[in-house]
Amino acid sequence: MAVTIGVLCCHYTNQAGEEDFQGIPGTVIVRRYPCSGHIEVADILRTFEEGAEAVLVAGCEAESCHNLSGSQRAEKKVQGARKILEEIGLEPERVRFAFLPRLDTGPFMEEVKKTFEIALTMKSKS
Amino acid sequence: MIVAERKPIRRVLEAIEPYQRVLVLGCRGCVAICSAGGDREVETMAAALRLARKRAGRPLETGEATLIRQCDPEYLAPLREWADKYEAVVSMACGVGVNLIADLFPEIRVYPGVDTTFYGANTALGEWQEKCRGCGDCILDLTGGLCPIARCAKNLLNGPCGGSQGGRCEIRPEVPCVWHQIYERLSARGELDRLMNFFPAKDWRPAGHGGPRDRIREDLKMDK
Amino acid sequence: MEPRSHLHRVLSEGHFAVTAEIGPPKSADGEVVRKKARLIKGYVDAANITDCQTAIVRMSSIASAVLVMAEGVEPVIQMTCRDRNRIGIQADLLGAAALGVKNLLCITGDHQKFGNHPEAKGVFDLDSIQLLDMVRRMRDEGKFMCGEDLTGARPEFFLGAAANPFADPFEFRVKRLAKKIAAGAEFIQTQIVYNVERFRKFMEMARDMGLTEKAYILAGITPPKSFGMARYMKYFVPGLDVPDEILKRMKEAKDKREEGINLAVEIIQQVREIPGVAGVHIMAIEWEEAVPEIVKRAGLHPRPLEAEVRPAVVVEVEKPVERVEVVAPPAEEVPEEAPPKVEIPVEAVKEVFSTVRSSIESLREGVNLLHDSLARLERALLGGEVVPAEVPEVPRVEVKVEERPPVEEKPVEVKEVPEEKEKEVVEEKKVEEEKPAEEVEARVEEKPAVEEKPPVEEKPEEKPAVEVREEKPAEKPPVEEKPAPPAEGVEIGSFSGEYRPLSERAAGLPEDLYKEPGTAFIREVEIGKGEKAFKVGGTNVLPFHLFEGEMRHEPRVAMEILDVKPENWPESLARYFADVLDDPAAWARKCVETYGAEALCIYLMGTDPNYLNLDAQHAREVVEKVAGAVDVPLIVWGSGHAEKDVEVLREVAEVVGDRGAVIGPVEEANHRTLGATAMGYGLPVVASSPIDVNLAKQLNILLENVGVALDKILMDPSIGALGYGLEYTYSVMERIRLAALYAQDDKLQVPFICNVGREVWKAKEAGLPSDETMGDQEVRGVLMEAITSVALALAGGDLFIMRHPKAIELTKLIIKELMQQN
Repeated sequence: MAVTIGVLCCHYTNQAGEEDFQGIPGTVIVRRYPCSGHIEVADILRTFEEGAEAVLVAGCEAESCHNLSGSQRAEKKVQGARKILEEIGLEPERVRFAFLPRLDTGPFMEEVKKTFEIALTMKSKS
Repeated sequence: MIVAERKPIRRVLEAIEPYQRVLVLGCRGCVAICSAGGDREVETMAAALRLARKRAGRPLETGEATLIRQCDPEYLAPLREWADKYEAVVSMACGVGVNLIADLFPEIRVYPGVDTTFYGANTALGEWQEKCRGCGDCILDLTGGLCPIARCAKNLLNGPCGGSQGGRCEIRPEVPCVWHQIYERLSARGELDRLMNFFPAKDWRPAGHGGPRDRIREDLKMDK
Repeated sequence: MEPRSHLHRVLSEGHFAVTAEIGPPKSADGEVVRKKARLIKGYVDAANITDCQTAIVRMSSIASAVLVMAEGVEPVIQMTCRDRNRIGIQADLLGAAALGVKNLLCITGDHQKFGNHPEAKGVFDLDSIQLLDMVRRMRDEGKFMCGEDLTGARPEFFLGAAANPFADPFEFRVKRLAKKIAAGAEFIQTQIVYNVERFRKFMEMARDMGLTEKAYILAGITPPKSFGMARYMKYFVPGLDVPDEILKRMKEAKDKREEGINLAVEIIQQVREIPGVAGVHIMAIEWEEAVPEIVKRAGLHPRPLEAEVRPAVVVEVEKPVERVEVVAPPAEEVPEEAPPKVEIPVEAVKEVFSTVRSSIESLREGVNLLHDSLARLERALLGGEVVPAEVPEVPRVEVKVEERPPVEEKPVEVKEVPEEKEKEVVEEKKVEEEKPAEEVEARVEEKPAVEEKPPVEEKPEEKPAVEVREEKPAEKPPVEEKPAPPAEGVEIGSFSGEYRPLSERAAGLPEDLYKEPGTAFIREVEIGKGEKAFKVGGTNVLPFHLFEGEMRHEPRVAMEILDVKPENWPESLARYFADVLDDPAAWARKCVETYGAEALCIYLMGTDPNYLNLDAQHAREVVEKVAGAVDVPLIVWGSGHAEKDVEVLREVAEVVGDRGAVIGPVEEANHRTLGATAMGYGLPVVASSPIDVNLAKQLNILLENVGVALDKILMDPSIGALGYGLEYTYSVMERIRLAALYAQDDKLQVPFICNVGREVWKAKEAGLPSDETMGDQEVRGVLMEAITSVALALAGGDLFIMRHPKAIELTKLIIKELMQQN
């Protein structure tokens, strides 16, 4: 059972390379943005369109955002995406946001794994 | 500006249920400024529709475009070409745009993508408030520039009702009582006597109760 | 199921039901409602009580229903969505049910713009179908609209709805009916049926959908009261289908009311044959007394079941009042019998009295009818003269005749005033002072002539004999001689020279070089009715281009009179009418008999809100007097105040409806209401627009849209007098005429009416005194008026309203010569 997840994040939160994702038993669509504040609701929805069962949006911790409030905006966008998912009959928890320390792959991969678990649950439900 | 709000996606899905190819059409006028029907919202709406239909096993093809305005026949002209490529149009413009498309292109099936809500101002980031109701007979000269038609729940014209308490409206406490505001403003200007005049019953015809309204400027109108 | 009401019982037992309509009064007079109820009692199974029909404020339906119940008639209250929101409606319906009302008709209601408070905010919180649904839930589920429980007594209404088989889209009408039935309608009253074929189709579709099984359908029936009403319904009531055949029958019928009843009876008989029609709903609008006759003749009398109208609580309060009324008149006969009758139920006694009362009413109606017929007969025999009907006016006329000697003195006094003024201003007045003197002499000469007339006039009025007509021509010759005396001021010359036809002058040239007739004709509009009527329009060429086309009718002149004595007419004009200025009837007679006017324009200046603001009744009286005094065609010109004119001309139209009088001015602001008034009486209108081709056209289109035919329109382009924009008017009229004749602009193919007199005589120059630079005052004024008219005749004018007899003479002379080219 091939499971796909999406990861939308800013450059600073994700320095993970191919080998980091080796441990994930499925497909990971990774999109990096100059700043998570630039991630739009439509981008999140498109990732689901491409087959993701769950999507992680990650931005810098609130006080360390390069663009001051970029990651906070991203969090709001995730709320917007959740609302739309709900409207079209998908579980809102399929998309989640994480504030992450900059340039630290460890916590990032933790969130990716959590997202993958959610994806697995969702996939098995449907 | 005319303020609008995205329609629940479910409703839009129901409207376009039979179709495979749909054009989501935005407007760069009021609805773009109030973040309800501009480029971004078109993208979001189109993606949401496609996603929902994909999950339902009936994939949808969407086109996305945003016109400068939808309330002007001139800017709607490109629709004539696009109409052949799509079975339906979801207009993200205010109701005016939907109506005008329906008027001009009887063959196009057009559905609203937003709910048109009111004439309002962008009072804070992400916040809009109703300020005018387009009643066709402006009385702002008499009320210190604050409109009791749009901003009083009972459209009162002769001062605040008994539900005005501490400058707040009884309908919702977060809403200020506009008559209280008018009172304070005119009071500060020493123009309170204005409020003492009896304001006779309003003629509601210019407000639309006399049927659909139009406006003609003879000096601009060309014969045929 | 136990029937919810008497009407329900009649229908459920399979009887062919009859309902009628009672329109409550525009007052607090309950007797009006009671009287209407008594009229139809025993002839109907229930009566609808309208709820401010056509959005005109009337006594409330529910209150009227209580009065109707007291008379033993079962009411069907009507509830519209226009005036109350869901809170008000639910509250009122609970009240109505508590008062004993059993039937309810749910309708959306006419839009407020059609009524007498068009500025009102329409509620329309619900529509009729939502209303039905709401009431059904209250009754069957015991729920208010919000979902809360209605504990205790529920409003047990027999629910009805309206349906219009004649509105568009036709196919949807039956579906909408189905929606209403699904929402709760148990009986249906339809729009008035005149087109039985279409109704038959509608019923067929209703049967196919099984609707006739689910609801009782009552066909709407209205007897047309007059030809005007039938025509009004055809052209002005949206969603009403009146076939031409009906119009034709009403037009040709001698007794319109009789024919109206016949039509209603025939339609009842026809719809009765249509399967699924459960009854009829007779809406005799403001003519309730026709209902019993129709019911009887349709074979629907007596009604099958006795109504058990349970009087509501309120009625008991009323009873004592009733007793006082009833007992009082028969007091002489009854007192002795009264004691033994104690055992007889009060209801029965009331019944008896109510019957007697309605018999008396019928008698009174009969007597009134006799009066009307008598008046009509007299009018017919006397050739349109309303003399007998206005007997009281005769003495008035006589009084004025007696007053005339003093009136003679007045002009002399008036004369002195200008003289004094002149003295104050300029001193070079030797010549002028002589002139007035001459004029006074001239007037002295005139007066005997004027005095001779009154005795002559008195004769016909004293003799309401059939011979009056024959006497008149005999009087006319002396009348025709009279124009001579007042002619002293200005002399009208004549044309000299000889006309050489163009064909002669252009001999040798091919005709198509100089001939270019228009591609269409201006419509012909008939002014007035009867012998003196004439037509204007009917040309396909530019004015007087008789060499290349046709002018079927020459331009005409109507003489203007005012409803009040004019204050600022220059002496040179006023002196011709000095003896009649304060009596419109005498003034009219003078215009016709002395100056040979072929039409009159009554300018209702006094009704202007910015002037005297006289009311519609005043206008009516003036127009009645004038109409009674002369038989030439009339034009009635309102104050020009859009709102006031609606009120005034509505009243006037009633008086001149059968005279074919022209009414106006109709503007964009009042075209709907005045257009409707004019159509109701078949009158032509003056369509006034401010000197602009497009505005003139637009107004014609608007009028046509509301149903006024183009051949009932005269265009008033708003003219300017000589020196006051004449050339502007000329050019606009010329452009309109060119568009009409050569550019196929059919909306402009309408004759022009030009209100010249008013514009000229208000000009400063018309009133300036005589002096060397300006010349003689009267000659100046006459020329200004005549030149304005002739110039506009050359631009296409068809009908002119003028004031000065000499100016008219001159204008007509020129027109006559211009018309004699061939």
